[in-house]
Amino acid sequence: MSFIKGGGIELVLLIVGILALWSVLSQNIPNPSRYLPSPVSVVLSSYDVIWKGLLPNYIGQTLWRLVIGSAIGLLLGIPFGIALGLNRTVSDMFYPIMNFFQSISGIAILPIIVVWWGNSEKTVFVVILYTCFFPIAFNVLTGVRSTPMILVNALRTLGASRLRIVKDVLIPSAMPHIATGARLGIGYAWRAVIAGEMLAGRRGLGWMIFTAQDADLTAQVILGMVMIGVIWIMIDRFALRPIEADTIQRWGLVQR
Amino acid sequence: MSVLQTAAISIQKRFGRQRLRRIMLGSIPFVVLLAFWQMNTSMGWLPPVFIPPIGTIWEAIYTLSDGCTGASAVLSMQYECMFTNHILSSLGRVGLSLVIGIPSGIALGVLAGMSRRFAHALEPIGVFANAISGIAWVPLAIVWFGTGWLTTLFILLNTVFWLIFFNTLLGVRGVPRVYENSVMTMGGGRWAIITQVYIPGALPSIVTGVRMSMGFGWRALIAAEMIGGDSGLGFMIFVSAAEYKIEEVFLGVLVIAIMWMITDRLLLIPLERWTIQRWGMVWRPD
Repeated sequence: MSFIKGGGIELVLLIVGILALWSVLSQNIPNPSRYLPSPVSVVLSSYDVIWKGLLPNYIGQTLWRLVIGSAIGLLLGIPFGIALGLNRTVSDMFYPIMNFFQSISGIAILPIIVVWWGNSEKTVFVVILYTCFFPIAFNVLTGVRSTPMILVNALRTLGASRLRIVKDVLIPSAMPHIATGARLGIGYAWRAVIAGEMLAGRRGLGWMIFTAQDADLTAQVILGMVMIGVIWIMIDRFALRPIEADTIQRWGLVQR
Repeated sequence: MSVLQTAAISIQKRFGRQRLRRIMLGSIPFVVLLAFWQMNTSMGWLPPVFIPPIGTIWEAIYTLSDGCTGASAVLSMQYECMFTNHILSSLGRVGLSLVIGIPSGIALGVLAGMSRRFAHALEPIGVFANAISGIAWVPLAIVWFGTGWLTTLFILLNTVFWLIFFNTLLGVRGVPRVYENSVMTMGGGRWAIITQVYIPGALPSIVTGVRMSMGFGWRALIAAEMIGGDSGLGFMIFVSAAEYKIEEVFLGVLVIAIMWMITDRLLLIPLERWTIQRWGMVWRPD
């Protein structure tokens, strides 16, 4: 019953309606295989790429880049942000420059990276790393900085060591910010992977839709777009959002 | 007291000690970075093909706007004023996408949010549209519109519209029923509910949506200009990189960063803070 109450019927109707409109539209325009292939031909085009093993390969490559890139970004960004946030003077010093680099998107510096390292695998990784490192480190820094001084002072009064304060106060109270930063950073990184593959010419989903457009295979372009959307929703729904919600639930109270 | 001391004290009084301290501290890393950059040039660690001398970046502005005669030429976007033309065309697209995207996103978001059953059904579609918005649309947009203005505007609008639509929808859905019912009890019509309850109640969420849409929008715009554009800062960076004019690439990146920081710091963050302060009460009644 919850399916019906939660708007399930309307959702199904909407999707059917969109697909129907799409098919009708594609039947009534000139040259539909170039401008808007029908949903059926998009599905049929997937048979070809799956049978040749291209699509699974591309998805694997893109995901591999995202996972490795954002894992390195997290491993470097979180300690870096915490280290900067430990001392008020240091954090005041680095806050503006972190904010500056955070606001330069990785895609904007991609041409520079291409000049430095050419169209290699390294280029894509550097862009991903750059894109997720700064939002993560910046958010961690903000989180550590916004720890109420009263908590730190309370521990200090009780004679806690520096390490103890970091471990028991600063890191737990920065946890919600760390989780938010990670989700934002990985979200930007996902878009950077797609753009990086297009511009640096490395095989993957972004490359697939880019070359398919060159080859006039619009059905494959739409297929790739749908895959990009579906994969991101799965990553966001089943990995990032639950982690963020759990972290905020578990540690968020320390904030207040 | 010497003149210097008096000046120092009056400056501190005017701007505030803490703020001055923060500005001074914050500028240290920038100065160090610039010093390293300058040292790199004078010591010749990395060749100028990789990292251009600082001076050439300033010169690149003049090279790019060589033959540009003045303010009137800049404003009429004559061909010679390439540097300002790229900035203006990027800014124009951002402005146009906001002018179209904000009203239509809010209107459709409120409409969708009014029927709660439909709002539930539309939510997954909004999530999906947001997930593929941005650069993933570039190839299809090139097929539809060719390279140029329309493609880049389409990409930007796609990013901006869905985020605002989605956030408005979430905002309207989050408005407590009590307010709606109380306006109805007092004899308010549908229109009164929209203007007095839904929109004010959803405003914090809408403004957050606007800020997010600019964050993602700028990034998407740069990428779209690189792949499918014929003007704008992203296009400038891409073409200059292809011609190995790395100083122009650096210039473009710096301009993008500065422009985004200005829009975010001076426009969006104050707007968000003000909205949440002013209207946030409706959002969280307890």
